[in-house]
Formats: sequence, C-alpha cells, structure tokens
Amino acid sequence: MLSPESLWAWFTNPSSWDGRYGLWNLLLEHLTLSLVAIFLAALVALPIGILVGHLGRGQALVVGMSSVSRAIPTMGLLFALVMLFGVSFRGLAVTLALAAIAVPPILAGAYSGISAIQRSTKIAAKAQGMRPSQLIWHVELPLAANSIIGGFRIAFIQVVSTVVLAPLVGLGGLGFGIIQGLALRDFPQVTGTALVIVLLTILGDRLIGITQRHSRVSLGTSQKG
Amino acid sequence: MEWFLKNTDFVLGLTLTHLWVSLVPLGIGSLIAIALARFMPAKLVSATNGVLGALYAVPSLALFVALPAILGTSYLGPTNVLIALTLYVIASMFFSARDAFAQVPAPVVLIAKAQGLSSWQRFIHVELPLAIPGLVAGLRVAAASTVSMASIGAVVGIRNLGYLFLDGFQRKIADEIITGLFAIFLIAMTFDLLLWLIGKLLTPWSKKRVQLA
Repeated sequence: MLSPESLWAWFTNPSSWDGRYGLWNLLLEHLTLSLVAIFLAALVALPIGILVGHLGRGQALVVGMSSVSRAIPTMGLLFALVMLFGVSFRGLAVTLALAAIAVPPILAGAYSGISAIQRSTKIAAKAQGMRPSQLIWHVELPLAANSIIGGFRIAFIQVVSTVVLAPLVGLGGLGFGIIQGLALRDFPQVTGTALVIVLLTILGDRLIGITQRHSRVSLGTSQKG
Repeated sequence: MEWFLKNTDFVLGLTLTHLWVSLVPLGIGSLIAIALARFMPAKLVSATNGVLGALYAVPSLALFVALPAILGTSYLGPTNVLIALTLYVIASMFFSARDAFAQVPAPVVLIAKAQGLSSWQRFIHVELPLAIPGLVAGLRVAAASTVSMASIGAVVGIRNLGYLFLDGFQRKIADEIITGLFAIFLIAMTFDLLLWLIGKLLTPWSKKRVQLA
C-alpha cells in the first residue's frame, strides 16, 4: 500500500512540478485542450440548440442524437480520430474528438431550456412588439440560462474525463502522470497526479454549479426558471 | 472487416470480459442506488447529493488509480475498475431513483397502508412497481455510460474491448479500432433495447393507462 510519506515526498519534490512533464506544464496543456474543445463545441451546438428550441422543429433529431451519442465510447472516438487524421495531426484530432463529445450535452441543454419556456411567456413578449431576435436575446436566453449552463456542466465532465486519455495517443495533459507512472511503476506519481485531477475536476464542476445557481431566473410563482 | 473476420475468437473473448465488467457494477450499483434513494434518512440526503455529485464529475481513469491508495488494492487488475464503475452507477442512478420514488402518488401508498400492508409489503408491491418507469430510465443512462467507461479499464490492464483501441493504435491497425468502436456501440444499444423491453414487460398496466387518458 502506498505510504502517505512517499506521496508527500512526491508532492514536495520540485521536479514533480517543473519542466516539460511537470505538473504546471501538464496542467496548462490539460486546461487548454479541454477549454478549446468546449469552446469549439459551443460554437456549433449553441446556435443549433437555440434555433431548434426557438422554432420548435427538429426535436426528434436532437433527442435521438443525444441518446445515440451516449452509446459511443469516448475512448474509441479519440483513438479513431487520431488514426483517421494521422499521428502528426493528433493535436487537431484530439481537439475535434473532445469537441464532438461536448456537442450533444450543450445542444440538449440549450434546446430543452428554450423549449421548456411556457408559450404564454413567448406570446406576451411578441405582443409587446418584440422581434424574433429580441425574443431570443431578452426572453428565451435568460430563461434558458440555467439549462444551458447545465448542458455545459455535463460537457465539462465528459471532456475532462476523456482528456485524461490524451497521453495514450502521444499528447500531454495531466493524464501523462498516470500513464507514465503506471508504465514506470512510480505509484506516488500515479496517485499524486490522480489527486490533482480529482481536485481540479471537482473545483471546475463546483464553479459551473455556482454559476448555474446564480443564473436561475424566476417569473413569479407561475413559472419555475 | 477483414481484420475482425480473422480475429473473431479474440474479439469474442474481449467482449465476454467487457460484458461482465459492465454487468456486475450495473447490477450491484443499481441495487445500492435504489436502496439509498428509498431508505436514506431525509437528514442525510443533501450530504449524499453533494458527495455523489462530486464523485460523478471525477474522471474514471483518475478514480481507477486513486482507489489503490485508499483501499490498498493492486494498481492493475479488475478490482478497482469494478468498484469505480459501481460508484459511478450509484452516483448516476441515485438522483433518478429518488425522482422515481417521489413520483409514486402519495394517496396510493396511503391506501395500501390503510389496507394493512406492512412497510416492506408496500415497498415491494406498491412503490417499487410504480417507480419502474423512472428506475428503468435511470438505468438506461447508467448502462450506456458504464459500457463506454468500462473500455478505459484496458489502460489498467483489463483485457476488454478497450484493449482493441490500445493495441490497434500501437500496431497501426485502423480496423481493430473500428471493430472496438462498433462492438461497444452494439453492446450499449443492445443493453438499452433490453432495458426498454424489460421496463415494458414489468409495467403491463402502463398501456391501459395510455388508453384511458
């Protein structure tokens, strides 16, 4: 069993933190990969989700896509895209695989948030002379914000869970400490890195959760935001 | 396709491992989740929500290799993966199971009580059957993510379908990776279909209700 002393020794050793494969650099790669992928996914998924919710068309496609996508193993998608693009383009391939993983939850969050808004609210906004763009921007988006951020939360969980596997195809990120540590049987490194990943993920999840709680809009008692 | 035809026995062996590594956590995890959701004292619910919510966010590979430090298990091998996947099933199903029991109409439970059913009889004969649609919906989500997540167990030495990704990448055989992708997708879809069917068979009255409405 791993002793707390050896774990402490690993954490207090400067070489665990500095250099190409030190925690700082791996953390930076980890965050960059995850955030770029979520950003790319949002560029595609948000407009489509908002439009599907606004127009009330294409719901079957969105619901079907999110249930089919759940059956696709994220690890397999990662390896398949790197294979398809070639190892020299693995950065692009991994980013696209992660973005593809993030699309369904963001899409579903945006669509379900907007389609859950009561018809009477939309009609009232139109009766006040709002144009469709104003309806989306000033009524639908604020009311759907809670659900949209909820979609981002699931996307975040899925992406950071898969980005840990990036070192298996030759990229960096915090998963490197686990993969290398397992290969070298350096178990303080494995457990230490795992702890950093666990803390980072829970912290990120909590931050999104707090944002989500603050985004809740209530229209009196007739409608729950 | 050619690669798959030449290696069917190999893939079949990996598939069997994949099946039991997914099914054991699904079975044990869903039973624990149902028990927790139904019998957890109200005081502990928000604390459990917090712990399970955080657990749900933890990347699976990180949990696989964090468990040995806590439990003293070996780093490689199926034990950590089975425990971690069971924890994910509990975390994922606890919320949907609570919703499923909350949606059982209170008057129905009250009538059962008035008819003299003990609390255990009420649970088995009234609450559980009425919660089945919600429980099955939760189980379908958990099953899909468990089958997908189990493949990551290959990184810590489990010879399941995830091994096809690692081996295919190392040996540059695209067909091997595609085979793994399809096999896992098919297992997930089959589980989903079976669970949907079981849900329908266990609630023969749901059809009648639709007609009444």
